[in-house]
Amino acid sequence: MVKSQNLLTEVESKELLKKAGIPVVEAKLARSKKEAISISREMGFPVVLKISSPDVVHKSDSGGVRLGLTNATQVGKAYSQITYSVKQAYPEAQIDGVSVQTMAPPGVEVIVGMSKDPQFGPVLMFGLGGILVEVLKDVSFRIVPVTERDAREMIKEIKGYPVLQGYRGQKPASIPALEQLIVKVSQFVEKNPQIKELDLNPIFAYPDKAVAVDARIILE
Amino acid sequence: MFEEKLKEFEPIFYPKSIAVIGASATSIKVGSLWVVDLRSAGFPGLIYPVGSSGGRIGDLEILPSLRLIPGEVDYVIVAVPRQSALELLDDCAAKNVKAVHFFTAGFSETDTQQGRKLEEQMLEKARQGNVRIIGPNCIGVYCPEHRIPLLMGILGEDGSVGFISQSGGIATKLVTIGIARHINYSKGVSFGNGIDLDASDFLQYLAADPKTRVIGAYLEGTRDGACLFNTMKEVAKAKPLVVWKGGRTEAGAQAALSHTGSLTSSAAIWSAMLKQAGTIEVHSLEELTDTLLIFQQLGRGRGIRAAIIGGLADGGGGNSVAAGDACMENGLKIPPLSFETKQELSKLVGEVGGILCNPVDLSQAQFRGLATLFQAIDSVVRDTVSDVVLIQEDIEILLPIYSRKGLEEINEFFIELAKRQNKPVIVVLPPGSVEAERLQIEQKLLAASIPVFCSMERAARAIYRLNQYYCWQEAK
Repeated sequence: MVKSQNLLTEVESKELLKKAGIPVVEAKLARSKKEAISISREMGFPVVLKISSPDVVHKSDSGGVRLGLTNATQVGKAYSQITYSVKQAYPEAQIDGVSVQTMAPPGVEVIVGMSKDPQFGPVLMFGLGGILVEVLKDVSFRIVPVTERDAREMIKEIKGYPVLQGYRGQKPASIPALEQLIVKVSQFVEKNPQIKELDLNPIFAYPDKAVAVDARIILE
Repeated sequence: MFEEKLKEFEPIFYPKSIAVIGASATSIKVGSLWVVDLRSAGFPGLIYPVGSSGGRIGDLEILPSLRLIPGEVDYVIVAVPRQSALELLDDCAAKNVKAVHFFTAGFSETDTQQGRKLEEQMLEKARQGNVRIIGPNCIGVYCPEHRIPLLMGILGEDGSVGFISQSGGIATKLVTIGIARHINYSKGVSFGNGIDLDASDFLQYLAADPKTRVIGAYLEGTRDGACLFNTMKEVAKAKPLVVWKGGRTEAGAQAALSHTGSLTSSAAIWSAMLKQAGTIEVHSLEELTDTLLIFQQLGRGRGIRAAIIGGLADGGGGNSVAAGDACMENGLKIPPLSFETKQELSKLVGEVGGILCNPVDLSQAQFRGLATLFQAIDSVVRDTVSDVVLIQEDIEILLPIYSRKGLEEINEFFIELAKRQNKPVIVVLPPGSVEAERLQIEQKLLAASIPVFCSMERAARAIYRLNQYYCWQEAK
């Protein structure tokens, strides 16, 4: 658990990103089981439930995430399980409720992040999700502001680039959509210097678009 | 671009008068060396030695204070301990000095609060007095055109390569390697701690300087990353900028991974910045000088399709195979020679015992005389499948076969060929057991504007980087 007053929740982060024109899978906050069920019905199944707490950074580690819920009964049960297990793991955490979002169809997983370099200021990072970024450190960086050309180069620079072009039957990812997303993130952090860190992880990239499935913003 | 810098920096690179603080008639002090070196280099302006000892250095009287110099002083070199720094800046301001170079060390690089505080005070005084500071902790300016040598009187020929270096040692190596390899500098500067004028200022000046056509930089860090990034972007648009960042760490590799911030490593960020700015990043003194040499000799890239002549005589086979690997592994393309060229080669040198594709091994020409060898080389160079030709000339193999006279003819032929053909010819002279002859040939070829390298790897890398710059700029 990271105790951080400056950590925006997923719902808050995604609202800001959406306003900045960055495609996200919209998430709504449910403060009760009943609310979670009604939001799920509104959005359409299957849905994903995640713990919403300013104190919990790694949501899945504490049992705070449930994927692929296909009906109201499952959503109700998941709500109780999530709040229970997070309370067990972090008794001190402030729990706002759970966020509800539709389950995005699988795509190529990528991540885009921003951190501040002491010498060069905001720096964007791009990489493939999962093992490629964690074990092989296959990521690229560019200093903000990032132009379309910079974005294109940072996408092509990673060793895992062929994965984005589609392999073993997986559909290719839209490079222009990823470029656009990176440029918009760059513009967003440039306009908002109070953002200390930003993490879009994962982003699902499809043949025609790219959407941030989870997002996190930390303010200065 | 940055034209205002030309006037601003004129007193630094073309001073009409230089005062050297810390000169002495009796002891050998650095200050005295500077005076002597400027004189022997033929510095065309006035030189004023200043020091407490009195007396003379040659026919120059040593004055006790900067304030007592009768005429105007553009530029001051300071080689006295840091305790006098602030007082000296007062003197400089009073004398209306334009710029002062502090050779003096013992400031922020000692990582003490005292050192940092003194730098702050110096900067404040300099700003008030309208004096620019170079350094402290550096060896300052090098300008062969204006006969300003580096420390120890090192002075090469005037040329078109500009450099900046945070380190005095690297600045010296750049110049001495330059003297050995015909890399001729327009001007250079070592700026040490860079408390006032730093990398960005000097890069802007070199970008504006009409004498400078390519710029090399050795950097260890920056006080203002955003300014450096923006400056490099602008400078690289105007001129090729080759950058070696020293002090790269493995921070990236050690970083914790689930988190964006922790994936950031300073070396990776520097590389990203240098690439994004359109500069050419290199990782050693060797790569820096190789790259500056090829830019100086060839001006611009014509492409990366290379024809390789791996051998001119015995033992060319394995060397040709290795040359092919070296070139491809360093980014060059090696297209097959045209059918016509292959036919011509087979007529000239025969099919047995050589390799007549690409790389080419012309070993068999040794049994048919130099005229045949030259015809064969000519036909490889003429083939339009390549943009550039690399020739491996192994002196210790050629010398016993062709003798000195034959070797001379071979190299004259290369020079004539490079002039006649509108295609860069690059010669690789691998070191071996006949170094004196090899160095002599290297000098001769370099003087004729032929780029010379001591290995195929280094030649290939330099060619690749030359082209990389123009590809990057054109793709804008």
